[in-house]
Amino acid sequence: MTTELITQETLANGRTYIHRTAAHCETGVTCALFRDKGLEISEPMIFGIGSGIFFGHLPFIKQTGLPISTFRSIPGLVFKKAAKRLGAKVFRKRFRNQQKGMDELRRVIRTGQIAAVTTNVYWLSFFPRRYRFNFSGHNFIVLYENENGFRISDPALLEYTTDCSTEDMERARFARGPMEPRGLMYYPISINPHPDIRKACIIGMQDTCKQMLGIPIPLFGVKGMRHVAQKVIKWPEKLGYIEACRQLAHILRLQEEMGTGGAGFRYMFAAFLQEAGELFGSKELNELSNEMTAIGDIWREFAVVSSRIIKQRKTKSEETFEKAGGLMLICAGREEELFKNLRDVVGKLKA
Amino acid sequence: MELEDELFNDGLPKAYYKQNDKGQYVLETNAPWAEKVSVALLISGNRANLEEIRKAVIAGQKSPLCYYIEMRQLTPKMLAKAAGIAVFRVKRHLRPEIFAKLKPSVLNRYTKALRVTLEELKTVPNI
Repeated sequence: MTTELITQETLANGRTYIHRTAAHCETGVTCALFRDKGLEISEPMIFGIGSGIFFGHLPFIKQTGLPISTFRSIPGLVFKKAAKRLGAKVFRKRFRNQQKGMDELRRVIRTGQIAAVTTNVYWLSFFPRRYRFNFSGHNFIVLYENENGFRISDPALLEYTTDCSTEDMERARFARGPMEPRGLMYYPISINPHPDIRKACIIGMQDTCKQMLGIPIPLFGVKGMRHVAQKVIKWPEKLGYIEACRQLAHILRLQEEMGTGGAGFRYMFAAFLQEAGELFGSKELNELSNEMTAIGDIWREFAVVSSRIIKQRKTKSEETFEKAGGLMLICAGREEELFKNLRDVVGKLKA
Repeated sequence: MELEDELFNDGLPKAYYKQNDKGQYVLETNAPWAEKVSVALLISGNRANLEEIRKAVIAGQKSPLCYYIEMRQLTPKMLAKAAGIAVFRVKRHLRPEIFAKLKPSVLNRYTKALRVTLEELKTVPNI
């Protein structure tokens, strides 16, 4: 079922906007914004240039009472970094006052400029029931205003554009709680139509390696993976079987569900490496891409083993938490190797 | 089993990257099994919690506010910020005897923050 569904919309000033599906909300939105300004670039490319891949365990931020293990950098950073590296001028603002935030959005979309907003997923009624929980980091594009509220394009979720009522929008943009969006709104003002993509790729990859290997706190990067893996192994003793299952399910949710494109962004990064390999004509990058795919497969296997644990929680399965944690340790080891290799390969590339 | 299918058969698939036969990455829309299982577990957990609280409210051990906090997947801290009421007051209002004495002005703040009507806020649905 590989489809490229396209929906067209006419904006306030008569320009057409083409809606395309993407795997992740932020990269999809960034990609659509840049495409609207005339820069054709693929989603994985944005992801790689913006150094989106990451791992972090945040026990101090709780989501429905469960600690977050994130597989991506902080929401908003991909757009910021990609824009900087591709030489785009951007408008990016948070609002203290709700009314001002909504007025500014209306003013901007009336001029025919599309704007992306960050929202809380829970309050969006067009969302399917299963994704609606308090997570303030979903991005989509507002196209224009109509009688039902706003016409929006959500590349990560829908294959078509949809309506969002004004009340929903206001609530979702100004939801309170962890990681408040505070009405964050952003769009590129101008962009260089022929940016130096090779240079941007190199900077992006270097930054990625730094993020994954260089942060001296054991919660982030490869070290974070090891930390979580060891925690997973200890969970059933420490928390009891049922609670341990819940925690594991939360990791899986963050890994597979939140628009990661599968296996916690690993497949998307592999797609980026593949594209970069073509761009540079480099065999090494292609090999690294294959390695990343293999790591993604192990993440998937981790997910399957964990799901079996969850599924058979009443009968106590033969799959154990040790096995799940072990798979995660393997991922950590292989990713460390991969990013070290990538660092070496990038050092030899020429912009 | 039923819950998973119920949750994922609403005709709104998400896209995932996948390698095709030539080794190129393309988008496909089949949700991985692991995602279905984990989402089903978390959602069934939430629903069970909500049901438990509903029964506790009917039994008079907790205030209806408790139920609506759980329904909107908030915590007292988040609700306090949204409604503009101090956290310790929100926590006090979780006790039914104190909640029953609240003034309409305070209740109105809660109704705005939780997006429920005033009548709804005073009771819980009795199924």
